[in-house]
This record gives sequence, structure tokens and C-alpha cells, in this order.
Amino acid sequence: MRALRNRHTRRGRAVAAALAAAFLAASCAADEGGGTAEEGPTGSPVRGGAAAVAVHQEPSCFDIHVSPQDITGSIQRNVFDSLVSEDAQGNFHPWLATSWEVSTDLKTFTFKLRTDVKFTDGTAFDAAAVKANFDHIVAKTTKSQYAAGLLGGAAYAGTEVVDPATVRIAFSKPFAPFLQAASTAYLGFYSPKTLAADADKLCTGGPHLVGTGPFKFTAYTKGQDLVLENNPAYDWAPQTAKHQGPAYLGKLTYRFLKEDAVRVGALTSGQVDAAVSVPPVNIKTVEGAGIRILRRDFAGASYGLYFNTTRAPFDDERVRKAIQRGIDIGTNVEAVYFGQYKRAWSPIGPATPSYAASLDNSWPYDPALAGKLLDEAGWSGRDGDGYRTKDGKRLTVTWPASPSSNREQRDVLSQAIQADLKKVGVEVQRPALDVGTYTTNAYKGIYDVLDVSWARFEPDVLRLYFHSSNLPSVSGQNAAWLTNPEIDKWTDDAAATLDKATRDKLYAQTQAWVVEHAVAVPVYSATALLGVAKHIQGVEYDPNAWPLFYDAWTTRS
Amino acid sequence: MTSPMPGAPKKVRPASGRTGVAQVLLRVLLTRLASVAFVLFGAATLAFAGLKLLPGDPVATLLGPQTTASPAVREQIRDEYGFDDPVYAQYIGYLDDLVHLRFGESYQLQRPVADLIADQFAPTAQLAFSAALLSVVVAVVVAVLTAGRRGVGRSAANTVELFAVSTPSFWLGIVLLTVFSFRMRVLPVAGADGFESLVLPTVTLAVPITAVLTQVLRESMESALDEPFALTARARGLSRLGVQVRHVLRHAAIPLATLSGWLTGTLLGGTVLVETVFARPGVGALTLDAVTSRDMPVVMGVVLLAALCFAVISQLVDALYLVIDPRLRKG
Repeated sequence: MRALRNRHTRRGRAVAAALAAAFLAASCAADEGGGTAEEGPTGSPVRGGAAAVAVHQEPSCFDIHVSPQDITGSIQRNVFDSLVSEDAQGNFHPWLATSWEVSTDLKTFTFKLRTDVKFTDGTAFDAAAVKANFDHIVAKTTKSQYAAGLLGGAAYAGTEVVDPATVRIAFSKPFAPFLQAASTAYLGFYSPKTLAADADKLCTGGPHLVGTGPFKFTAYTKGQDLVLENNPAYDWAPQTAKHQGPAYLGKLTYRFLKEDAVRVGALTSGQVDAAVSVPPVNIKTVEGAGIRILRRDFAGASYGLYFNTTRAPFDDERVRKAIQRGIDIGTNVEAVYFGQYKRAWSPIGPATPSYAASLDNSWPYDPALAGKLLDEAGWSGRDGDGYRTKDGKRLTVTWPASPSSNREQRDVLSQAIQADLKKVGVEVQRPALDVGTYTTNAYKGIYDVLDVSWARFEPDVLRLYFHSSNLPSVSGQNAAWLTNPEIDKWTDDAAATLDKATRDKLYAQTQAWVVEHAVAVPVYSATALLGVAKHIQGVEYDPNAWPLFYDAWTTRS
Repeated sequence: MTSPMPGAPKKVRPASGRTGVAQVLLRVLLTRLASVAFVLFGAATLAFAGLKLLPGDPVATLLGPQTTASPAVREQIRDEYGFDDPVYAQYIGYLDDLVHLRFGESYQLQRPVADLIADQFAPTAQLAFSAALLSVVVAVVVAVLTAGRRGVGRSAANTVELFAVSTPSFWLGIVLLTVFSFRMRVLPVAGADGFESLVLPTVTLAVPITAVLTQVLRESMESALDEPFALTARARGLSRLGVQVRHVLRHAAIPLATLSGWLTGTLLGGTVLVETVFARPGVGALTLDAVTSRDMPVVMGVVLLAALCFAVISQLVDALYLVIDPRLRKG
């Protein structure tokens, strides 16, 4: 591959010579990169320089208090700090808060704040700033789609300024997830000046979005790129970071390259220094071009198939179990994702806190068992096409496909699943629906199978996915339409305690129950695949598997 | 009224005297403005009807699947955008807004639609204009060189045109990027910063258009070459190229002008794909995002913009006929 590239580069120079002077300049600039790319990593961090990161999405709204988008959170993490930071094990560490106290009833959280923190507009960060921000999140005019939920939703009772360095947040009922919520970028802090002057322009993005973070939001060109510049005064990095003081990079540019082929090409040709979401199929090529792949498993709900347990045929546990065991998940995931993604064993991914590792390898592919279960359930007849029948009716299940949810090659994977299930005599139909019909049908339960995933560093997704208060009929995510008092109790109790052992136990029970009763078929747990050029060092991941550039530096000046 | 696709050239009745000229001109101008307004009204109504016929709850689509928005927030959004009003009330409100040039605010981006489109219009106009220019220049040169000839050049041109017409822009864009940007590294991958970043998108957008224009132009040139005036000109000693450039080309320009409606549509549609592949800002990229997220105010705004482009261009072309073909002026 390298030989090939060099040959093309030489030819490139020949062609460039024949072209106009403007082209020539561009070609030289691009070629300089090729020379230094062979140098290995150097040990100690270097200050200054710039890095460009290609991302696969563009935020539609930059307001962290409004947007539910991962891409918004991951970019704005550079600009906004949080009260606490969470490590990969799910433990919390001081950040803008030096210490905190949680009342025994889990209703009040009192934070002692750092007193040396300044927003990039010079305003001091204090308890009043925390209050102004949390008030902004819950204000009706903000129309928060996510942050208000993180802040307890209806349970949020208010924020009280105890003294300039002490702030108390109260809830009307126990709200254990608050520390985790407070560690996310969505509960980050705008300068009170920004909230006073530009509250209606936060979604648009721009230099008026002022935070306390290691980078400043400098410029945004819609459809093209976003530029962040170093905040030289930054001296309050979380304990989870690798260094203290200002970020190493002088400038960080995010370029919106939505097409996979374009993003990969820009990375291998040195036009960007890093690219998120390198498609698994391109990993070998990219690594062959001398680029490192940094991997990190996404936490949260793994990608899985959820059965509508309220209607035939999936109101029968035996049929659900037959599907669960009748798909050769391991082989399919390996083939479609070239070994980059992990086959899932639980409704949550292995990187999620409280993951039940005991489920690993506990329900392997077993088509014979699948056949036996379907026979027992009465689907013992066969029609001309080889599908199973009961009382003359074919075993057909509907799994609606939405064009917008097709990412990560899920369409290819679903064809493999269809083929496996055909072997055990189940016909899977995948009507292609527009977004509107898809959502309407989902909320009304007009489907047999729905495929979903939700990356979030919190086992509380189990409550969102299986608790009876989150049925799709009230716009919830409980796609299996599960109404089980035990599951409700376990997930409620787990969300109401900070005791790790208790949470582990309750969440393990929930995961085991869901798999045991075949409410869902966990399929794969995705891995973040970040391509990084050799001259970029020190890139870290946060618990959400978002790349962090605070500790990163470039050896190219 | 004038259809968005300009049909055959119209004949304008000659003014009877000097005093009548101003009156006639005024009447012509008013008729034309009225027809533009009617086209806009039709487009606005069709866009509105189309969006209302789409299934699904607009609030659910607007919020997307992964949100923890409370029912209160949903209700508030519903109220604010008037989704619960009767359809006729929404329609009247919508027309009233349009008449007062209020184009609403994007659901997804929370910015006024007029600002959004104004921001994104320049890069798209730049791209569409440079592609149109490139297509016309190349089409004229190739048609002049190949019209009425037989031989290798002609068949080569035919073959290339056939491929060019049937090449999907998306694929062509990726191929051009792979060759010139990823391998040779002579042109940047994406963006809208200056001339270099305009080259590949322009070529991608222009290739299929050039092929169609060349074929149409050559065919009408060939039929003009068969006309007696062409023979006369040759007999008077004008060179073959001279006849083509000075007489035949002008004759053949009428069908080319007639194609301008198609050209406008292709350019506008093409920018959606090209801007996506090349990660260029612009109205095309804005449209794609708006359609996939059902950001209705933006979709409506883009539809109106497209209708306005069509209407204005068809009026300009009507006027252009008179310039190209003096016979139409005499009536």
C-alpha cells in the first residue's frame, strides 16, 4: 500500500507541475506532510500547533442544555467543564467542585466549588453561575431535550446559593443518578453573561458560547468546520486528566465529513490529523497507511433486537427464545464488522458499569434448540417455501426498517439475520418506512421486532429500556413493551442508591432476567474507532468513548 | 401564465406607436410579475400540502428517537408551532407569513430560515454558476468542433457523452476525490475556501450537464447546417468554422436556451449530492439535512427559493429569445 501511495504522489507532482500555480502551492503544502509522517512518536508533550479532526456528524444545535446529540456533547466537552468527572470504572472525582456531600435520602447534593475558576470572558465561576445555568436548563423557554431530564426532570426542586463557593441542588425525591449527570457535558456551565445576553442564540454556535473549558469556541462555518482555540488561562483540569494547566494544542478544528469514503480519504492523505468513526471495513487500509487506530468500547445499551411481547407470536416466550438461539450472532458480527465490534451477551455493553460478565457465552447459537422450541410452541408445520406454520398460518414477523436508523452496516447485518432465521423456518419481513410512519408505528406498537441501541455511560439505560413507566405509548424507549413489577423494582431501586455493590447486584439481576426470558436479543456492542496520525499523541477517551483532545499534542509545528 | 419549464418562444405583439410603448411594456412587466407570483403561490401550496400529507407526529420527528423530553416540553412545542390548529388555519397562517416575508424558524437549528438560506446561498450560487459556465463553454467548443463531422473524434465524443450522462454524480465525486485529492493530493478534500476547493465540485456537477448540452447543441447545429443559409454562407467563401460560429451557433442557441429550465433544476438538485460528497456548505446540504429531519420551515423556504429561481430564469429566457432571434421581435 505504501509503495502504491508513493507512486501516486510522484505522479501527482508531475500533474501538478502542468497545472496552474495555485494548484502547485496546494500540492506542496500537502506533500510536506508525507515527509514527517514517518517519524515515530516522541516522548514529552509539545505545546502549540494545530490539529484537525474529521467527524461524521454535524451538530444541529450547539446548545448543551438543549441538544441530546452525542456529537454536540463530544465537541463542547472542550469548551465546557462540569462539577465532577467520572473515570472508566464509574467513580467520581473533583473538577469544578472540590468536594460534595449527598444527603442520606439522596434528595440534596451540596457542592464545594473551586474559587480560582474563570470563564473565558473573565467572569468568575461561582455558586451563582451554577444556579443561573441550572435555572436556564429547566426554564420552559429553553425547551431542553436532554439536559433537563439529566437534571431530574420533574423531580428537580431547585438550586440554592449557600455562599459564593457552596451550592446546593435539591430534588423532590431520591435522585442517585445526579452525580453521573453532573459529570456530563450537557450539565456544563455557560458564562452568566452569555446566558443574560445570548440565551436565544446558543443553538447556532459561535464565539458567544463562553465556558470555562480548555478551548474557546472561536468560529463556526455551517456545513464545513468549527474552530476551537486554546484557553491559556486554563488551570482546573479534572483529576482524571493526564496533565494540569492549559491544553497543549494551540488550535483544534473539527471538520464535518459525513461521507465515510471522504473522511477516510482525508485521513489517509493527511488532510486531517484524526478521524472518528473509521468504518470497520477500512481499518486495514487505514492502518496500512501508517495511521493508528484508538479503540474504546461504547458503554450503554448494546445494539439489539427487541420483541414486541404484547402480541403474537412474541407473546410466547418459547418463540422469542427460538429467535434468540436461532441467529448465529457471533459469526455474523465478526463477518460484517471485520472483527472490530464485539458480539453482545447482555442488553448493555461490557464497558458499562455493573455489566454482568456472567452472561458471557451463556446463550450460544443453537439452531437445534430453536427448532425444538418452535415445535413446542406449535409452529410445527411447513409450507412450500420451507417456513414454519401453525393452523395453516406462516410464521412471519415484521421488523420495520427506517432509512434514518441504518448506520454501522445494520442493513447488511439484518440480511444475515434474516438468512439465519429462514433456516429455522421463520420469515422476517423488513418493510421500509419513512421516518414519520416508523415513529408512529413504534409508539403504537405496530411491529414484532425493533432494533435499537443507546450509547450512554450508565446502566440506568436498563430502566429506560425495560421499566413499565417508559412504554413507547408515552414516548418511552421500552420497545419490548415489558410490564414486569420485578424489573420495575430492581431498576428503580438501583437508580435510588449510590452503593456500588447493591447497584451491581440489581443490574445483574435485570440483565439476566431480560436474557433468560428472551425479551431482547443483544447483537453487538460497538467500538469507537478513532484514526490518529502518527504525529498526534496523547489522545484520550472519556467514559462515553468520545475522544478527548485536552491531553493531546502534535509533534508537527 | 408561464410554466417553470419555458416552452416554445413567445411572440410579443408589436407596439402600434411611440406612445403605446411604455404602456405595452408596463403591461408585459405586470403580466410577468403576476405569473411569477402565481408560480410561487402554487409551489408554496404544493409544499404545504405535501408536508401535511406526510405521516407521523411532527413533534416526535422533530425531537428524534433519543430524547428524554418531557410531555410538557412536547406540548409546548406543539403549541408554539400550532400543530394542533386545523389545517386550513395553519395554511392561512402560513400564507400570511409568506406575504409578510416571515419564513419562520428552523425546528432543528433554531435560526430564522431566511438567515439560514441567506448564509448558505453564496457557496451554492458560486458552485452552480461555475458549473453552468463550464458546461456551456465546453458544450459549445465540443459541439462546434464535432457538428456535421464523421470520424474518430466524433465517435469518441459520443462515447464520452454517453458515459458522462449516465454517471451518478455521487460516484463521480468520490472517484475524482480519490484520484486528485487522496492520491495525487493536488486538491483539497472539502470545504469552500477559495478556488482550489471549487474545482472538483464544479467538474462533478458539470459533467452530466455538459454531455446533455453538447448533444442538444450538436443536433440543432447539424439541422441548421442543412439549411440553405448555411450553404449560401459557405458559397460566399466563409470557412466551415466561420459558418458554424457566426451563423449556425446562433441558430442553434434557441433549443439550448429552452433547456435552461432543465438546467436550473439539475443544478439545484445536483448541488444536494455534490455538497454532501465534498462537505461544502450550501443550500443543497441544508436541504438534505432539512428533508431527513423533516425540518418543515427550512424545506418550505428551499422550495420557495427553487420556485423563485425557476420563475425568474424562465422570464429571463423569454427575454433572451428576443435577443437571440430577431425574427421573434418582428412578430
